[in-house]
Amino acid sequence: MLEIKNLHVKIAEEDKPILRGIDLTIAKGEVHAIMGPNGSGKSTLAYILAGREDYEVTEGDILWNGESLLEMEPDERAAAGVFLAFQYPMEIPGVAGLTFLRTALNALRRKRGQEELTTPEFMKLVKEKSAALNIDIEMLKRPVNVGFSGGEKKRSEILQMAMLEPTLCVLDETDSGLDIDALRIVSEGVNALRSPERAMLVITHYQRLLNHIVPDKVHVLAHGKIQRSGGKELALELEESGYAEYGEKAA
Amino acid sequence: MSVAVMKTKAELSFAENFGRVQEKLPGSPAVKQARQLAAEKFAKLGLPHRRIEEWKYTDLRASVKDALPVRVGDETKLTIADVIVALGPLAKLDAHRMVLVNGVYRKELSSPDRLAGLELEDLAGVLSRGTEASAELTGLTARDDDAVLALNTAYMTDGAVARVETGAQLEKPLLIAHVRAGSEPGFVAQRNVIDIGPKASAQIIEAFVSLPGAAGEGQSNAATQITVGNEAKVLHVKCAADTGEGITHLSNWMIRLGRETEYSGFQLTQGVGLARNQIFAAFDGEDTKFDLSGVFLARGREHIDTTLVVDHAVPSCESRELFKGVLDDQSRGVFQGKIIVQQIAQKTDGKQMSQGLLLSPEAEFDSKPELEIFADDVACGHGATCTELDKDLMFYFKSRGIPEDIARGLLIESFIGEAVEKVEDEAIAGAIMEFARAWLARK
Repeated sequence: MLEIKNLHVKIAEEDKPILRGIDLTIAKGEVHAIMGPNGSGKSTLAYILAGREDYEVTEGDILWNGESLLEMEPDERAAAGVFLAFQYPMEIPGVAGLTFLRTALNALRRKRGQEELTTPEFMKLVKEKSAALNIDIEMLKRPVNVGFSGGEKKRSEILQMAMLEPTLCVLDETDSGLDIDALRIVSEGVNALRSPERAMLVITHYQRLLNHIVPDKVHVLAHGKIQRSGGKELALELEESGYAEYGEKAA
Repeated sequence: MSVAVMKTKAELSFAENFGRVQEKLPGSPAVKQARQLAAEKFAKLGLPHRRIEEWKYTDLRASVKDALPVRVGDETKLTIADVIVALGPLAKLDAHRMVLVNGVYRKELSSPDRLAGLELEDLAGVLSRGTEASAELTGLTARDDDAVLALNTAYMTDGAVARVETGAQLEKPLLIAHVRAGSEPGFVAQRNVIDIGPKASAQIIEAFVSLPGAAGEGQSNAATQITVGNEAKVLHVKCAADTGEGITHLSNWMIRLGRETEYSGFQLTQGVGLARNQIFAAFDGEDTKFDLSGVFLARGREHIDTTLVVDHAVPSCESRELFKGVLDDQSRGVFQGKIIVQQIAQKTDGKQMSQGLLLSPEAEFDSKPELEIFADDVACGHGATCTELDKDLMFYFKSRGIPEDIARGLLIESFIGEAVEKVEDEAIAGAIMEFARAWLARK
């Protein structure tokens, strides 16, 4: 279970608060969506869960299965099951996708007290998972994300998620930059990972993604606080009314 | 105007030592005469210092405090197993080995058989015979004003004299292994003379390595002359991996390229207290391709300098240089690349790149590209960058569960990989990467 308690966050070395008291609980097996206008703090919440350095928690705590994540390095959080699918996946020149995946998977397996995978075991797994996401294995021999289209980068993120089998999945604007077909493939990939053992936090600006990944709960984040929570119908309502009442002017 | 300068302790010792060992150094009377002249030249020039433009970043007068005792006729006991340990990743190569220990050729440690197409002798033997060849050898110091080369001519004890026959395709690389061993610190001057015949193809590797337990101090002055005949193809690699803060490695490569040759050179320098790698390449014939890359790895207070001059004296040649340095702690990397395109050298195609990766805020990379172009129909370019490890990328690695040290290793390997990939032989490139990985793992 993920418990975010009265979380206050500011940018390190600045005084401006971004999150001003977030309370959120996600039980295992649940998918929650966070929607909100630009600049509301959605991505900050995603980064703070994964442990990015540029932010500072001034108050509150984040517990994952009863343990505070705040004292953990990003790689320790990953070992504890946290995974962030980046809004803008990074390009890594000179490091092949397969090397990256294998290094990550084996590092996590070591930390989780599991045996490392042999090359044939790893290749079997990566072939199976990439086929489901319509990813050509040749693409994984190239440096990570270098020269990939927006859609390819997002599929590559979901492949990493499928390979690393996290228990807390945070998806930051995974729908941005995707056309309809790519959105469907990515959503299917995410849905395949839904399980009673896994909690998911889906961050999005638009309701569109939530037609494919149907959430159990929807929260509206604005001005660094959760302003409203409801069922999946709240997303549809927002699609109608926009974020005007939360302070964003219609585009 | 000449200014009288006080001689430093090291300069005085280098001069004194010469008198002490002069008679023991190998060579015919003509060679001895040449040594004497070189020693006098060195005495006049002194150690290069920062007021000489090319030595601005690497001041030998300031950093070489003393001359270590000259090694002559060394007889340190070593076994082939020792050589294998010293060679590290290079020991796995299927190569024809010529082994020198503390500057002396050791037949019993070298490959016993002959390599087809290769004539190989030891320099001491050639110098002593006093033949025409040795006269030519001693005339090597064409670079009159170079004090480091003068020192080499004065003191050179041994090395490889290799000639690849016309049209010969060597089936194995020639590995010239300069091994430092023993607990006594010393000064060693080596010289290799390599002649690749027309239409021949060869791979030459020079290794500067040491045996575990060797003295923490050592000075090496190495000079290599390589002449590549028309339409020949050569891969020429140097691995300077005799590591230690007290190690000084001064190196000169003098390269002459014939018509339509393909020369690919690579230099790895890692963990050396003070290194200066000078490379002088000259084109004697048209349509030649020259490709030179290198990787230098330094930490602590180590200082590694690469200074090269590529002289396009004929038309239609291509030159490429790519050097990558990884610098940690308070170490310093220097790259000076001068490309001269003479007026006659139309259709020259030259590109140069030097890149430093700083792992510490106190590390420093000085890069000075110099293009002197006198022809008007040429394509030349250069670039230099200096960066740190990308923080955002580090976060990305760590968010996937990859610990910081492994992430750093992967990023550094990918950084230097681009230069190492220029070595087209997979086994040799693999050995270079293995050296680099061992250096990375040492921290």
